[in-house]
Amino acid sequence: MQKFRLYFEENNRSPLVQLWREFARQHSALFGLALFAGFLLLSILAPLLTPHDPYLQADHLLLLPPSWSEQGLVQYPFGTDDLGRDLLSRMLKGTTYTFGLALVTVLGALIAGLALGALAGMSRGVKSSFFNHLLDLILTIPSLLLAIIIVAVLGPGLANTAWAVSLALLPQFVHGIRNAIAEQLKQDYVTAYRLDGANNWQVLTRLVIPNIWEKVTIMCSMALSTAILDIAALGFLSLGAQAPTAEWGAMINDSLDLIYLAPASVAIPGLLIFTAVLSVNLVGDGLKIAMQRRREG
Amino acid sequence: MTIYLLRRLFLLGTVLLGLSIFAFSLGYLFPGEPLQNFSGLRYLDDSTREQLTLAYRLDGSYLQQYLAFIQRLWHGDWGLSLASQQPLLTEIRQVLPATLELTSYALLVSFFVGIPLGILAAIKPDGVIGKAISAIAITGYSLPIFWWGLLLIMVFAVGLGWFPSGGRLGVLYEIPPQTGFMLIDILLSDVSYRQAALQDALRHLLLPTLALATFPTTVMIRFVRDAMLDVWEQSYIKTAKAKGLSRLQVLYRHGLRNALLPVIRQIGLQFSTLITLAMLTEVIFSWPGIGRWLIDSIYQRNFPAIQAGLMIISVLVITVNMLTEILHTFFNPLARKR
Repeated sequence: MQKFRLYFEENNRSPLVQLWREFARQHSALFGLALFAGFLLLSILAPLLTPHDPYLQADHLLLLPPSWSEQGLVQYPFGTDDLGRDLLSRMLKGTTYTFGLALVTVLGALIAGLALGALAGMSRGVKSSFFNHLLDLILTIPSLLLAIIIVAVLGPGLANTAWAVSLALLPQFVHGIRNAIAEQLKQDYVTAYRLDGANNWQVLTRLVIPNIWEKVTIMCSMALSTAILDIAALGFLSLGAQAPTAEWGAMINDSLDLIYLAPASVAIPGLLIFTAVLSVNLVGDGLKIAMQRRREG
Repeated sequence: MTIYLLRRLFLLGTVLLGLSIFAFSLGYLFPGEPLQNFSGLRYLDDSTREQLTLAYRLDGSYLQQYLAFIQRLWHGDWGLSLASQQPLLTEIRQVLPATLELTSYALLVSFFVGIPLGILAAIKPDGVIGKAISAIAITGYSLPIFWWGLLLIMVFAVGLGWFPSGGRLGVLYEIPPQTGFMLIDILLSDVSYRQAALQDALRHLLLPTLALATFPTTVMIRFVRDAMLDVWEQSYIKTAKAKGLSRLQVLYRHGLRNALLPVIRQIGLQFSTLITLAMLTEVIFSWPGIGRWLIDSIYQRNFPAIQAGLMIISVLVITVNMLTEILHTFFNPLARKR
């Protein structure tokens, strides 16, 4: 960063454009964004893109090696599993389950968290302080443990996993949003707006929410990486998605006993989980740095 | 400070109360009969059923049942495991130390590797070393631990054969359990093969510790790096530089002391993540700890065990968190003021 500006340039672009400029300066963040967009597209378009039915069992093609090995077939780029199902199609389908479902759970947790966080943030006094400390402690129970307990109550399954993960993510959203709102309420412009006669609702919608959305975005990116890892971990423990479902974690668990025969069937889903989480983290980090730089001017 | 401690204690009490109410309600929430979920007896004939209903106050109001539940917890009667019909508290006492051993080593690794790397990355954040460390940190941060553990097993245990792929100790050695911590037990025991057993235990420990330590270490790197960069911007650092202190002196006297204070609080936060990750690590490395025990209980629909495991782990996590919070406040005058 240069300290002295040689040419005086008036910077009065909108905050979003400024943010994008700072974001686009970081190569890693752009790379992450491209990956993220790729996964997003895949999770929506997966049913159209799969070359084979991900659940079709071709019994003459069991455990076909990937196409880069000698015995592979070009129609099956990643080979097939022990039931003759095309691995590429299953990976694509898995994007919808692991990545897409993680997005949905985070959205659900975000909406509920915004409502509860706003309620908590706008209230004051003993009630609010107690609520805050309580959340602090609920937060210490790790999200995966919470999800495991919820699954143990509800029973395994993909839908229950989604509920469990979003419930487990909720406390951190409520806590983060509450703190962000409390910080906003201390600002002078809020007092000025109140003196102008604004009520709580107007303060919340016109001042607080536009000012906290940056923090909320970063919270979402952190929650999204947790959600992907948790969904995959639950699938791996066979507490989440059940056997035939092409969820990445469940696929790793499925092919564990074949790890010597077909290492690709364990390696590729894991690599996909890793890439998905990495893309989310890169975007999150890039956003954080871009916001910081934008504020510094 | 006293008022602060009292408030914390009050809060701890409230949370434990909430937790016990939640655990109690699990007896009803879980599928199956509440009586069975509370007692853990697999077969109930009519006379024991009557006896237990009376003892557990199941015919009374929920409040009476809850009070009876608390009394049982207090007296150490946590019910039986549905799977093995052993008292749950004895089973937990056997598996908990294994988890604590693994997590404490991973926590130590995360400190001794994470903090220096974080400081190193903060010295020149845009230099080659800084960028490389950040890249490693974000990679480790994104690794799904179950896959990472499998990779380690595939490469170092199956491929190269350097380390065993699971368990705590080879079957050749027998160490009488005293504390439950394997390394301490070996050192305390007076068997002829102590050295060999110690080596074997360390070889068993290495891969799980590495897998488990990856995430907390990378979190620690990022945390220390950010904290250092933050402190480096403060005006007292400028003052120190202006006084003519060398870079190393500024770093040691003013930078580190302030940047590393929040690390104490980080122990508590890390601990809860570690416990969860330990559950996955234990499953992969067949480590006989509480995580594997809890997940096995879920497979076996062993509801009393899930209930007890939840209570033990949560109480542990909450207590550690509370203690580190208090320690942090004790050491940091800025946090005390608020």
